[in-house]
Amino acid sequence: MKSNGSQESRRFLRLFLARNEARLGLSIVTVFLAISFVIAFTGKSLLPYNPIEQNVGPVLASPSAAHLFGTDNLGRDVFSRILFATPNDLLVSFIVITSSFAVGIVLGGIAGFWGGILDEILMRSTDVIFAIPALVLAMSIAVILGPGLVHMTYALMIIWWPPYARLARGEALQVSQRNFIEAAKTSGTSTLTILRRHLIPNILTSMLAYATLDIGTVVVVYAGLSYLGLSVQPPTPDWGSMVNAYQDYLVSAPWLPLVPAITIAAVVIGFSLLGNALRDALESQRIS
Amino acid sequence: MNFATFILRRLGLAIFVLLGVAVITFTLSHLVSSDPLVAWLGRASGNPVLAAEYIQRYHLNDPLYVQFGYYLFALLHGDLGFSVFKGEPVSEALLQTLPFTLQIAFCAILLTLAIGIPLGVLAARYHHTVVDYSISGFYLAGIASPYFLLALFLLVILTYTFHLLPSGGAFSPGIREPYPITNFPLIDCLIEGRWSAFLDGVTHLIMPSLALALGIFGYITRVLRASILDVLHANYIRTARAKGVDETTLFFKHALRNASIPVVTLASIVVTWLVTGTLFVEVIFAYPGIGQYAVQALSNLDYPSLLAITLVLAVIIVLSNLTADVLYAVVNPEIRLR
Repeated sequence: MKSNGSQESRRFLRLFLARNEARLGLSIVTVFLAISFVIAFTGKSLLPYNPIEQNVGPVLASPSAAHLFGTDNLGRDVFSRILFATPNDLLVSFIVITSSFAVGIVLGGIAGFWGGILDEILMRSTDVIFAIPALVLAMSIAVILGPGLVHMTYALMIIWWPPYARLARGEALQVSQRNFIEAAKTSGTSTLTILRRHLIPNILTSMLAYATLDIGTVVVVYAGLSYLGLSVQPPTPDWGSMVNAYQDYLVSAPWLPLVPAITIAAVVIGFSLLGNALRDALESQRIS
Repeated sequence: MNFATFILRRLGLAIFVLLGVAVITFTLSHLVSSDPLVAWLGRASGNPVLAAEYIQRYHLNDPLYVQFGYYLFALLHGDLGFSVFKGEPVSEALLQTLPFTLQIAFCAILLTLAIGIPLGVLAARYHHTVVDYSISGFYLAGIASPYFLLALFLLVILTYTFHLLPSGGAFSPGIREPYPITNFPLIDCLIEGRWSAFLDGVTHLIMPSLALALGIFGYITRVLRASILDVLHANYIRTARAKGVDETTLFFKHALRNASIPVVTLASIVVTWLVTGTLFVEVIFAYPGIGQYAVQALSNLDYPSLLAITLVLAVIIVLSNLTADVLYAVVNPEIRLR
């Protein structure tokens, strides 16, 4: 299944990039990732204004050339604040998705491959976690840990893995019943080698599309927690908390709460388009 | 597996899940503070009289498994602790706020179906045309929006630009709130026979529900579209067509009816989304439901309320999943025969 990999992956890439939604999603995601990297490495130095400094312009100025997204109630430049907060959402999402992916593939893989009581325990515990909305559970955990970006990441990491475990389990169950695994078993290949060579690569591909789609979900939930004041504390900007802080100006300066909210939506749309295109491309590759 | 066994199994699973949720909230209540009293009384745990009463009532000096037993016993009797910032037992506060949220949820589900189903039908009917693509753009935007964006958009457009709907609250300032008979304010208005108050309440309900519906209808549209397109290729449709059934009857009577079945499986996603979204929507529209209560409890570090709300929301989700499962088995016999 993994023979002539480079040729296959090049064909897959061509198939994938032929889609408009893939190209659009990829561009949006690339822009936000690029901003994140630049901010992460250069901090405030490249921003048009210091995102925390007050009175860099008039108070509540409308969007203009000098202040692309206007200024807020304390005369801070909203564009700089939006840019400065970009790494937060993306970093949290990537950490949460990566850890869920790793935990999910290990637990789900084990449950699906060996089955039995282990499988039962895992599936029932995911049932329980599914019954509580992610944001509400994260909120309860956040109350215990206290607010902050790192604590929010922990809270989300604790609750995010169940769908990944289920997905990995389903795939493992399906794959382990296929002929090539059976062949490997009878030819005396060790269990570990079967897992590493055959099971994991097969599970990975289908989980990847889900994970890409899921990044957007983490962004939305994280933004919600931030909106509730559970993440980065003021004056450091964060998209969710900015919406909360600015929503009183919805009448006099509607761009203030809308710009950070739309930015969140843009990131989510980018990852959704990418994830959908990835899933479709994987499916059509499987069929062919 | 016959139908009764199927229902019993689902019921057993639901009870198991609820027990699991209780384990989680119990664990959280012990992680909140080294003193479990804090989880029951919050800031009032300094009050010696209340403290003595709660230690005795929940056996807080006993081993954990004993405490868990009394915790479950208390939950089953509707005792959820005392909320200091509300100045009343948590169960009282829930009884007052939950009906407001259920009103929003009911209205939001109606709107979700009213928007999601027609758009799904349209998208399938005109698939791979401009109509289909615009609809998918529309629902993608809805799904991608953070919980508060749609609410803010609606406020800007419907209230501040066109002055069509009130900006918040459950009733206009001059309207007297109805006497709580069923605890559902709108139903109580009707019982009292005050039409104007009822209509006023409805106008306050539209925007919060619409904000929720616009975020979730896309799942219905997407699944219904795919399902209709699937069904249209089925053999019985070809048979019906060959028999000379006209295309409109074919589409609406034969295809749509069967294509609607998978929509039931979305109940879990929809309810979870509504329950989460209501936290934000109720705060933005100052609607006195459980979502606003949760956010207030959060900012007041009112642990008993927060844990109780987590539990109640989980109960709502489990019950709606159970209903959906049963409903699905009723409309789709295949599932219970497997």
